[in-house]
Amino acid sequence: MRDEHIISLLENGPFAELNENDLVTIRLHVGDCDGCLSAFEAAQISRLLLQEHVAVEFEPPPFFHTRVLATLRERQATNDSWSFSKVWRAAGALASSMAAAVALLAVFTFVVPENQITSQQASTGYSAEEVILGQTAQLEDASDGQLLTTIYGVDEEPAR
Amino acid sequence: MELARAAREGDESAFEEIMRRYSPRVFRFAAKFFRQRSLVEEAAQEVFLKAFTELGSFEGRGSMEGWLTRITTNTCLNLLRSSKRRPELTLSDLSHDETNWLDNNLTAAAAAQHQSTERSLVAADLAGRVLQTLPADDQLVLTLMDGEDASVKEVVNLTGWSESKVKVQAFRARRKMREAVEKLLARGRKSGSTRTA
Repeated sequence: MRDEHIISLLENGPFAELNENDLVTIRLHVGDCDGCLSAFEAAQISRLLLQEHVAVEFEPPPFFHTRVLATLRERQATNDSWSFSKVWRAAGALASSMAAAVALLAVFTFVVPENQITSQQASTGYSAEEVILGQTAQLEDASDGQLLTTIYGVDEEPAR
Repeated sequence: MELARAAREGDESAFEEIMRRYSPRVFRFAAKFFRQRSLVEEAAQEVFLKAFTELGSFEGRGSMEGWLTRITTNTCLNLLRSSKRRPELTLSDLSHDETNWLDNNLTAAAAAQHQSTERSLVAADLAGRVLQTLPADDQLVLTLMDGEDASVKEVVNLTGWSESKVKVQAFRARRKMREAVEKLLARGRKSGSTRTA
């Protein structure tokens, strides 16, 4: 328990914030406890290392400001050209999709209906129009039997 | 505030003046997190590029210095996060000077010896190497709280983390740092006793 207490004293706050009472408690304890002694030494050394770590200072190099401004201008130029090319590409995409839509509409309006009629004509032997209108002239001249055959598709059984 | 407004409106010379005034502070602050000059410069440059694009968010309620320090903290944290963490540091990774420094600081007279610039640089290098084995958030909190003696509130203000996150992070980071140093010391003692035997 006492080991835990000493270690938690070391970890609860920065080493520099340990007060006199804490240090006395720690020193009394580490005299008998090797584990806590090495933890205490390591905490002391960590503190020294960190102090040295933050003590190192660098000054800005002579042309630092010029370099940052140049990078800034470069980035702005890249952003500008990028946004222009983005708009250009978007406009191109919009124009080509509109052209494609117009072409499709034209195809559906002018080409497909004619094809449909032609293909319908080609595919069916008889159409209602042919039967009713196209063949009216022939049908007028036909006999009753031929007429029935044409309309019902059945030959009249000859009467016996 | 005048400078910030002018810079926001595209006055390049105003922004240059901001850099001239605050770059020494930004460099000093960034140097606490990186040992290589190139990384400090990279961080400082990124800070001013970010500052330029975010000038609109600077409302002038706090100081420009405080605002830039917060940007520096976040930039350094991002750079620490993106840099590769070192695997565990072993005694064989240490230079002769670093091993000597550890040996000498184990003695009671260590604090008094701990004076010369050369020795300080050795210690700073060693600190950097030990810190590099820890996660970025741990490095940041240790540097600020245990190195710079920043309070929990100051770290909250700089990072935007909650108070409890700062406390927990500092507690864990201290433990990790202490354990890493303790391992080095234990191995040093072992190899020392082997040498004397």
